[in-house]
Amino acid sequence: MPLLECKGLVRRFGALVALDAVDMSVDSGKIRAVIGPNGAGKSTMFNLITSVLRPTAGEVIFAGESITGLPVHAVAQKGIARTFQLCHIFPALTARENVRIAAQARDHRRWRFVAGADVLASSAVVADEALERLRLTRFTHVPAAFLSHGDQRLLEVAMALAQKPRLLMLDEPTQGLSLEETDRAVEILNDLLRDGNLSVLLVEHDMEVVFKLAHDITVLHRGRVIADGPPAAVRANAAVRSAYLGESE
Amino acid sequence: MTFLGFIFAQGLSALSQAAILFFIASGLTLIFGIMRIVNFAHGAIFMLGAYVGFTAAALTGSFLLSLLLAPIVVGVVGMAFERIFLRPLYGRRDGGAYLLLTFGLAIVLNELIRVIWGPQPLAAGIPDLLRGVVIVLGQPFPLYRLFLIALGVAAAIGVWQFLERTRAGLLIRAVSQNAEMVHALGTDVDLVRTGVFGLGCAMAAVGGVLAAPLVTAFLGMGTTVVIDAFVIVIIGGMGSFLGSLIGSILVGFVQVLGAYYFQDLALAFMYFLMLIVLVIRPGGLLGKED
Amino acid sequence: MVPKSWAGFCERLMLNAASGAGYRFEETSSRSLVDWRIGFAATAIIGVLMPFVLPQYSLTVLIEALIFGLLAMSLDLLVGYCRLYSFGHAAAYGLGAYSAALILTQLQLPLPAGIALAVLVTVVAAVPIAWICTRSTGVSFAMLTLAFAQLGYAMLFRFRDITGGSDGIVGIPRPAGPFGMSWFQGKTGYYYLVLGCLLGAYLLCRAIVRSPFGAVLAGIRENEAKTIALGYNTRAYKTATVVLAYGFGGLAGALYAAFAGFASPELFFWLVSGRVLIMVVVGGAGTLIGPILGGVFFVFLEHELSQVTDLWPLIFGSIFMAFVLFAPEGIWRLLTIRFKAVPDVPTADPSKKKSDAAA
Repeated sequence: MPLLECKGLVRRFGALVALDAVDMSVDSGKIRAVIGPNGAGKSTMFNLITSVLRPTAGEVIFAGESITGLPVHAVAQKGIARTFQLCHIFPALTARENVRIAAQARDHRRWRFVAGADVLASSAVVADEALERLRLTRFTHVPAAFLSHGDQRLLEVAMALAQKPRLLMLDEPTQGLSLEETDRAVEILNDLLRDGNLSVLLVEHDMEVVFKLAHDITVLHRGRVIADGPPAAVRANAAVRSAYLGESE
Repeated sequence: MTFLGFIFAQGLSALSQAAILFFIASGLTLIFGIMRIVNFAHGAIFMLGAYVGFTAAALTGSFLLSLLLAPIVVGVVGMAFERIFLRPLYGRRDGGAYLLLTFGLAIVLNELIRVIWGPQPLAAGIPDLLRGVVIVLGQPFPLYRLFLIALGVAAAIGVWQFLERTRAGLLIRAVSQNAEMVHALGTDVDLVRTGVFGLGCAMAAVGGVLAAPLVTAFLGMGTTVVIDAFVIVIIGGMGSFLGSLIGSILVGFVQVLGAYYFQDLALAFMYFLMLIVLVIRPGGLLGKED
Repeated sequence: MVPKSWAGFCERLMLNAASGAGYRFEETSSRSLVDWRIGFAATAIIGVLMPFVLPQYSLTVLIEALIFGLLAMSLDLLVGYCRLYSFGHAAAYGLGAYSAALILTQLQLPLPAGIALAVLVTVVAAVPIAWICTRSTGVSFAMLTLAFAQLGYAMLFRFRDITGGSDGIVGIPRPAGPFGMSWFQGKTGYYYLVLGCLLGAYLLCRAIVRSPFGAVLAGIRENEAKTIALGYNTRAYKTATVVLAYGFGGLAGALYAAFAGFASPELFFWLVSGRVLIMVVVGGAGTLIGPILGGVFFVFLEHELSQVTDLWPLIFGSIFMAFVLFAPEGIWRLLTIRFKAVPDVPTADPSKKKSDAAA
């Protein structure tokens, strides 16, 4: 049974149909990439899965449970962590504090407003681990606002990891990164994904990144799935080629 | 016959109330539409209008003249405030600064008025020209209130036409939709903003001049009014001129009928209305994005 | 790392502004030169010694000042730590004062119990208010809080047989007990009661903002959408913070009622909310200490200025606006920024250097 299943997802904005009967699934331990030209509906799909938007129709099933329509924070508590296209972090807080708050999120003791020293300590340990995996340890005490854009995106990934999710959703993680930063990000992501028990859903524009990382690919075009399969098959797909005709990478 | 007359009288009363509210709320919504800030000092501006109007009427001996002078004076004050205090803030990340500044202005205006005009309410009463009653369907109805309705309708049409038909109105609508684009096309957006802020303040001042004969000019009249105006703008939608008109009429009816049937709870009524509206639609009905 | 010169200090300020992080990074990334416990102990000692140093009249003003400091600190929880601007915090003050007034005049409870009960009543009343207000943010939140304060003000006149209408409740006693304790019935004794409450409240607030709960508030302040996406029910946290703020504010109100001996409708007035907000912003939002100092100094300033001129509220309002424009971080941060050490920002990735060398 797949970890995440989207069944017949539809989302309308007035007359505009952003997603039309989209089926998609992510298997446990696998990486699925969602690609497509601009306006295909990739971010909308992310927002539907994480409940930032309500689907007009269809449902989202996670680990056998329907999570459609749950409040956003409840979805995160189920074990889904996501990063955002426009990098979302806590600018004035240190890198470590950023990640620590993420690490604390699923601790049932996070409510403590007195006697919380052990919660702070245990989440700090998780945070330091995450920072190290993302090679951001040198920024531990630096306010996040001072980090370069690329490092901020990695910080966001560190935060997602610190949530100890079952499903990691990355929304264009390499957007706005230089070639050098992209290579570094892919290297780090590869390390993470190969040895963890993580399942990943990835939206990406950069085809090289996609073909290096993904086990399965879903191609969206104008809100519909036009191809679904392993990288080689998708690459050869004529419909995919024509949808991308004229797209520069 | 008398029941119909009663209904009609209540309706006209509500509309006259709505007229005053409209002057205030439309100014608030115009300012929001163009600057994306809620002018918390709007109630104090209304109050300033009432006081300046009182003095203008006392000096010139003419209520109608004060109706012209007070908005001009207050409009200039508003523009000065925007130019000096609000313009430097445009780059700031923290939207709280606007809130605090306009709140600060409300306090400063309140104190300024107290220092200049004193703590006692000023009662000028209804001007002689507009005194008297008109018999409507068997019920006596104050002429002044009819005047308010007429003025409200005239202003609504006037501003609407201004926004729709004139070049300045077009600029204003454009800036409220996409300020950057308008700026790129060569218009001084800052000037438009200052102008609209002044216009909004002038409208509120008119409301103040009109309200003073009915309720007297007193300190703190702004606080209640700013909440009313805010509720109207929420109901009608932040930034929507038409919405402020509809909202004013709605709230006018609620206030008048509420005062008649639930006298004791009259004060609480507006707050309940606001709570209900904010709970149901935090963004308003006809509004642009907050 | 500590700037040794004025130039370094100015550079730091500009870095603050340019980074967009504002002035908030100082807390989490810096280390103070002086341990806070030393400062706290010193303050406590000075506080204890005050009655021996000050004339009686000044002691009265100091008690009022400490009460206002407590009220300001309670608002700081909302404004400084959640960025929730409440324009109706007078409601907390008034609720606490009137609850204490009614409890102490109607029930024969000893003073400490009466105050504690008044705080409890305020906290319970705050729950629905908090839950409704936190439905919105920004301006709507501010308007809702103001509306509740205005509603409270109106209700006082509506139920005048209980509340005494515009006369308020007078003749509030300070009953002795438990165990016949009566040290708080005199002015000096009451001063120590207020001082104790303020110091205790400060310690509690300090613990709260440094707790896991407090960290979530920081997240809400910095980026609420992200905090929700991480799995936090931010509305619940905000509601809890409003309730806490009302609790501490109610304590201030209760202490005031028992001190002054009367409670009147002015306590709910929007200008009171305004004053508290001014104290918080000018003192330094988000520092706890800043607002306390702001409250204390403003009360003293007000007492001095009001004897000289009628214009002092105007002056305060203008000072407030000047601070919002030019020094939004407030006095306390301006004073302490020299003493905070900020680490340098490393840029090179050490692991990359290795791969370069290998290639």
